[in-house]
Amino acid sequence: MIDVLGFLITLTTYIGIYLVLSLTLTLEVSSGITNFGKVAFYGLGAYTGALIGTYLPLAITGSRASPFDVNGIQLLYTISKSNPVLDLSVFLLSLAAGFAVSALFGLLLTYPIHRVGSALVGFTLLSTGEVLRLFYLNTEPLGESKGFMGIPNPFAWLPQARGAEALYLIIVWCFVGLTYFIVSRIMNSPLGRILKGMRDDELVALYAGWPTPLIKSKVLALTSGFTGVAGVLWAYYFTSINPNMFTPSLTFNIWAMVILGGIDSIVGGVLGTVLLASVDYAARFVIPFIGTTLVTPDYLRWIIVGLVMLVVLLKKPEGLAPRRGGVSKL
Amino acid sequence: MITQDLISFFLFSLLYLTVTIPLVLAYRVTKVINFTVANYITYGAYTAVLLDYYMRSSFGHNSLLLTVLSSFAVTGLIAVLSNLAVFKPLAEMRVKGDVLMIASMGLWIVLKYVLYIVSDIASSAWRTNLVSYSQIHYDDISLLTVRAGLVGVQQSLVVFPLLAVASMFILYLVLSETRVGRAVLAVADNSVLASLSGIAVGRVVNLTWFLTAGLTSLAGVMWTTYSGAITPEVGDSLILQVFTIAFIGGLSSLTRTAAGALLISGVENFGTDLLSTYLGLPTSIKPMLTFTVLLATLIVSPPLGVAGGVPYRFTRGARR
Repeated sequence: MIDVLGFLITLTTYIGIYLVLSLTLTLEVSSGITNFGKVAFYGLGAYTGALIGTYLPLAITGSRASPFDVNGIQLLYTISKSNPVLDLSVFLLSLAAGFAVSALFGLLLTYPIHRVGSALVGFTLLSTGEVLRLFYLNTEPLGESKGFMGIPNPFAWLPQARGAEALYLIIVWCFVGLTYFIVSRIMNSPLGRILKGMRDDELVALYAGWPTPLIKSKVLALTSGFTGVAGVLWAYYFTSINPNMFTPSLTFNIWAMVILGGIDSIVGGVLGTVLLASVDYAARFVIPFIGTTLVTPDYLRWIIVGLVMLVVLLKKPEGLAPRRGGVSKL
Repeated sequence: MITQDLISFFLFSLLYLTVTIPLVLAYRVTKVINFTVANYITYGAYTAVLLDYYMRSSFGHNSLLLTVLSSFAVTGLIAVLSNLAVFKPLAEMRVKGDVLMIASMGLWIVLKYVLYIVSDIASSAWRTNLVSYSQIHYDDISLLTVRAGLVGVQQSLVVFPLLAVASMFILYLVLSETRVGRAVLAVADNSVLASLSGIAVGRVVNLTWFLTAGLTSLAGVMWTTYSGAITPEVGDSLILQVFTIAFIGGLSSLTRTAAGALLISGVENFGTDLLSTYLGLPTSIKPMLTFTVLLATLIVSPPLGVAGGVPYRFTRGARR
């Protein structure tokens, strides 16, 4: 018997987290920031969340157990089962810290990259993600290759697991709503039109008097903050994270979603995300049942992601749902 | 320790030169920030791997010359095909450089996982593990070293200089001694003027793709004589260094690119060693050093006016 409700809840949570990522990417792309390092900020948020979510409850209860051994993980589980106030406050603190750390990191990163062209920005952010991943992989207090296990679910104290999942889903979608609200307000405001002009011709925007580096820094800080929140949401949803989750492939996945829907179109981004994230999730669900085959299905999944990017760019560059009221060419 | 550092400094400088000089040249002609350069290295290495396994099992011998020729041909062909299928149509749509770069990202994923699939299929067909292949020894190089009286010398010490010098020599010869090479340089400087003076720009661009990708694949062949475990991630693991070097060169100057190759190789080998000896830092700090150099380059001497950037540096208050 397949658990349909459970499947739907996890699917919508999964889509929700991806929506936060793709909405922020839409804002970045429409202001001319080619962010190939989504995963850097996402991973930073996730690791910040995991750090707080595991070390803090252990420290508060006065335990000396490490969050990486069995005792520590079991202790975290018992704490999370019994103490709703602690669970929720740790979760809220993680969200705030995830936002702050990622936003600050984004703000600092704009200093080296605001002088150079978008391709160089893209590459720098891409390598930031890789360097951070290698940092997690080689840092002992971050669990090295095993990563964090036993990050407590903030609603673990509820008697039914289903209730916890549903509540978590609501939290995730609140953040989707917030991101959507902010991104659409910015993109449809005078500031949004400045951003668009900046993307189309930075020199003209500069000569029109707009401090483009400053605007870019602010945009990247804001979007990175929300990307960090998505990372925290992922960490608490999946309850374990490891460096292998934060490879550049994840960034391309989000890019494929945004390109499929229509670059710089919010509705398109949402559409593309829902489509590709569903396929992605279904593939995760189905692949284990196929068993060993000659060709690993995961490879095919990535080839499809790459092909989606190429085919849309070549055949339908405006995407499935183009932005209205303007040329939505990148 | 210091000799080991010197040797790897020497080898990696040559490796980076082999990749970055064609990369910068290709950028000047095609105006594509091309991430598939990682695939070119990997495809070069994997042509060598497949050929090595096939030749060893069929004839009992392998040959560097044959490997180099086939890597060159395979990779060059892939580059020309990717130009015809992706970059040329996009350029005709007059998209911005960003889109070309994003497309190269898409192509990168596709080519990467196609190679994974190919090596999976070949592994199961030949009942061996090609996804992590051991170091390759080339019989013609062994013969050469024995003739020259260099018994017991690692093959990489011979192959790296040989291929790097050959690659530079071919590039120099083609660019400065042939008509088509001068046409390539003309297109690199100004493609509109080049086409006005009767150069078939499209053909020259195709040739550039073939030549630069083929030369890049030599780095993959070099890698097979050095690394103990050849995997389909070879090219990806070099991409940070390669682009940092290209950015040091401002994506235009070949001399600065060469200097950047030496710098990055030096920082990686001597810097990591110094930091681990004197400060006790782990050697896993290596990519972070390269990344620091990248950030420093972007702050101190940013490549302005290329790849979608504004052509001058805007600093608050300062007038230049």
